[in-house]
Amino acid sequence: MKLIKQYKNIALVLGLLTLASCSQEDQPTESLLNFTPKVKTDLDRWIDTNYIDPYNISVQYEWNQNVVDNNRFLFPPAIDKVQPALEIIKKIWIDSYTTIGGKDFVKIIAPRDFVLVGGVNVNPDDVSNTLGLAEGGKRISLFQVDYVDKKDRASVTEFIHTIQHEYVHILNQTKTFDVQAWSKITPKDYSSDPFSISDEEAYELGFISAYARSNYTEDFAETAAIILLNSEEDYAALLASITNPAGVAALKQKEALVVQYYRDAFNIDFYALRDEAQKNTTKVLND
Amino acid sequence: MKTKNILKYLLLIILMLQVNSCVSTDAEQKFEDSPTERLNKQKKELDDLLLSAKDGWKAVYYTDDNQLGGFTHLFKFLPNGKVDMASDFDDDTEKHNSQYEIQLGSTVSVVFTTENKIHLLSDSGNSPLAAGKGFLGDFQFLFYGQENGDLVFKSNRTVKEVRFVKATPQDWDDLKGNTIMNKNITGDINSPLFRTLETTDGTTVKKYELNYNSVVRFGTAIPLQDGNAETLKLAVAFTPTGITVRPAIIVGSQKLTDFVYNETDKSFVATGTSGAKATIQFTNAPPRLTDDYKLFLEGGGQITIGYIAANLSGAATNSPYAKAILAQVNAALPANQKIARVQIAFNDPLNGNYIAYTFTGGKATIYHFFTTSEDAVNKTIILTDDGWIGTPAARAFLKVLDDEITNPKGLYLKKESFTIFYTNVIYTYASAATPFRLTNYKF
Repeated sequence: MKLIKQYKNIALVLGLLTLASCSQEDQPTESLLNFTPKVKTDLDRWIDTNYIDPYNISVQYEWNQNVVDNNRFLFPPAIDKVQPALEIIKKIWIDSYTTIGGKDFVKIIAPRDFVLVGGVNVNPDDVSNTLGLAEGGKRISLFQVDYVDKKDRASVTEFIHTIQHEYVHILNQTKTFDVQAWSKITPKDYSSDPFSISDEEAYELGFISAYARSNYTEDFAETAAIILLNSEEDYAALLASITNPAGVAALKQKEALVVQYYRDAFNIDFYALRDEAQKNTTKVLND
Repeated sequence: MKTKNILKYLLLIILMLQVNSCVSTDAEQKFEDSPTERLNKQKKELDDLLLSAKDGWKAVYYTDDNQLGGFTHLFKFLPNGKVDMASDFDDDTEKHNSQYEIQLGSTVSVVFTTENKIHLLSDSGNSPLAAGKGFLGDFQFLFYGQENGDLVFKSNRTVKEVRFVKATPQDWDDLKGNTIMNKNITGDINSPLFRTLETTDGTTVKKYELNYNSVVRFGTAIPLQDGNAETLKLAVAFTPTGITVRPAIIVGSQKLTDFVYNETDKSFVATGTSGAKATIQFTNAPPRLTDDYKLFLEGGGQITIGYIAANLSGAATNSPYAKAILAQVNAALPANQKIARVQIAFNDPLNGNYIAYTFTGGKATIYHFFTTSEDAVNKTIILTDDGWIGTPAARAFLKVLDDEITNPKGLYLKKESFTIFYTNVIYTYASAATPFRLTNYKF
């Protein structure tokens, strides 16, 4: 037998063996993993209709240890507090941006996941609380959901502050603001320990809050958010309460940059957005 | 070797490897089911067990029995992931509905996924011990199996054992009673200031001063006799008839845990056999008496102490009863006037002994003179009336306060080891008749 023929035969045997070795294998049966969707409650269906279907934003209100900080002693919200909190967010944040920015604005640029926590999130310093967290622009955690009082403007404003602030970060991640120009306004007073002074002391330095002193991006987000949280008159009154003219001038410069950013990056009239947010806040309170 | 041979051997080796590789594909099976099947079974087992108890489950949850007591919880698991829950954490012992889920963590666990009573133990905004740590509570419990019908869990973060015991309808009714016992051991504004723990095995008596923190439900018993150096820790939980403590109090060879409340003398007694028992009692007499009062007696040096409202009204050593008395006196004064000082001078060379009540808002000082005597057995100093400056009508509003200071059973005077605001030495005096205690600077 010629060598080549021999090899052919051997190759044939090998091929058969290879095939044979697989012939005994079990065929996969039905999956053992349970894919039955959980029974939806009325609240789940409400979230589907108002958040998931129109905006592709999911809401985690049931406890999931994987999306919270396990070193903090937190707890999930009470069932009956979830929908009121979500209604506030929908009305003041989503609806305002939708009206002014266009109906697809929030659909395109938005966090994809809300995590709701019932109680306060006390920081290790035992002085301050964390009101909200934004992770990579994709997930926003909101604390103190149990304590939001729909009838109290201060309570609603504090709660919505978080989302307004974090959403500015998300916008910044889509299109950056003029950091160069911003950095020239109050270059010296940023601090790694922003809470060492009060909000009122921060105003005098040209910051809209103590926390705004953290860095440029926080300063921008705080400035935009706090203007959105106040009516035109309230914000004017805040500026009027500042005794240092340099502080007022700095805040006005920052405000101008925010307005310019919204116009150039998203073609949004920032003052119209503020007025819409104010109108919707009043609606929430009167509902 | 010829190329032909090399190829032959090579093929032979490949062939052997090929055959060999198919030889033992069967890994040894330790279990009959796959891991997924076993987890599914375990999940179902736990859910079935939770749902099986007709009247639900009861768990006395000790989040950390080294510094916190036990909180009794009742759970009635319902279909579709709902759960009714009640606890004795606070006065609200009613059932509340929320959701639960069987989740997979490092093992199968039950998680209370929306807020209910158990979450009160994990509220960073209500932290009696370390900042932000709440009551160190968990609400996710990893399932470790069954033991005599109990379900054994461990808390997710802190790995403390939590036992679910089958509940009875009575257990649900009893929660209200638990909160009453909580009030009984906490005491109120009129309860004596101190607590003692006394144990006896029938012959040997051991006495302890009991410091009890009602917020965290935890007590520390410090021995009062020489030769007994053992401090006891008491993690307290409530029952409708009294309290249970953990660890057990060892009296002789017996272990006592269950104390029964005695309505008559407001004591809690745990009874063993052959005369063994442990008693927790309120007392107005400080468990540790001092001779500090002797300094103030007739014939001693001049010494003045004073309560200054501006600096000392917030002192923790002022008893609630004393604060109420001060508030009562202030309430009787016009709005712009308040008690500024209650200053007591002893052995003043010019004026002898007197209490000077001074006021804000321009009201004139009122003086009450007294003589001193001692009760050497009970170690108190007794202040006896020796005349006033001012008319009885003008000082009538002071009577409630003055009666406490000059009560015939006397005052326990104690030099404290802390200071407040200034470096002045602090003295407290406590009435031997009532839970009145006030904090003073020494001048």
